[in-house]
Amino acid sequence: MQVAPPRTLTELFTGFLAIGARSFGGVMPWAYRTMVEERRWLTQADFAETVGLCQFLPGPNIGNASIVLGKRWFGVSGAVVAFLGLMALPFVLVMALGMLYAEWAPNPTVRAIVTGVGATGAGLFIGTALKLGRALVRKPAALVLVAACFLAVGVARWSLLIVMPLAIVLGVFLARRDWL
Amino acid sequence: MILVDLALTFGVLSLIAFGGMPSVMPEMQRLVVDVKGWTTHAEFIQLFAIAQAAPGPNVLIVSLIGWRAAGLAGAVVALLAVCAPAAVLAWWVADLWERFKDSPWRGAVQRAIAPLVVALTLSGGYVLCTPTTPDWRLWAIAAGAATAMLALRINPLWLLAAGGAAGALLLQ
Repeated sequence: MQVAPPRTLTELFTGFLAIGARSFGGVMPWAYRTMVEERRWLTQADFAETVGLCQFLPGPNIGNASIVLGKRWFGVSGAVVAFLGLMALPFVLVMALGMLYAEWAPNPTVRAIVTGVGATGAGLFIGTALKLGRALVRKPAALVLVAACFLAVGVARWSLLIVMPLAIVLGVFLARRDWL
Repeated sequence: MILVDLALTFGVLSLIAFGGMPSVMPEMQRLVVDVKGWTTHAEFIQLFAIAQAAPGPNVLIVSLIGWRAAGLAGAVVALLAVCAPAAVLAWWVADLWERFKDSPWRGAVQRAIAPLVVALTLSGGYVLCTPTTPDWRLWAIAAGAATAMLALRINPLWLLAAGGAAGALLLQ
């Protein structure tokens, strides 16, 4: 498949605008569709590698992807343009929805519906964790680490700033001994 | 100054959000609700719901929190603060990451972070549907959503819609 990076900043902007505007229910599938299938900016393997890096890095994955790809193609201006293109429409939509909701929040039915949607989103997090966790099932040390971190952060509500450094140091120690 | 407070709070979250925003939801809720008092527990899950239902990155929940705390300026500051530090890091690490492709340390760090991301994402879901005291109705909706997500391959938007309907039936 012939791939070519975007030729102009305008093209880059409209591409990321299209990703942001259509990405109901998750951004990554739409990023793939727009950049790999429709606009053919990069190959499937290239996309997978970039997303892999951005999932490893801290911060919003797709936000990082817009920075990394924008930088690769046009330097600083590319990074800024891709990021703004991605966020512009969703930002306006979310704010509009938020204001609309503030207006309707006193209505108990509306509040019940929105809270139900929130609980569903929480369930999607749990589903995602289980999906990611499948890769760890055969590694007892990893499961112990998962349970310990869940108890510390989810149940005991300890600060991530304490739990995370400890977990990473312990994790690297275990990984170097091939336990993870 | 509340804008500075927003910038610092979300700036720190940006740098510890390994694996993306789900990882820092427990910490975000702790800081926003318990420490800073920008929203209540109940409002937090509602703002989260709005960000989930709208198109675009789910990171936009921070704009809604910023807006609650300090209006439109708060919304913009919170979004930039949660993206910028990570973006700067991504900027530098993208090249470095390529260079250490074959280093055993890169593999070790990746394997070390995997269980942490699983645990934090799980914690995010748990914390969101356990606002203060355990509520079986929220747990039931969340469990149904998780099961449906794993069993069916459909756009999560349908699940969110079903969850809204379940909320209307159960939560009034």
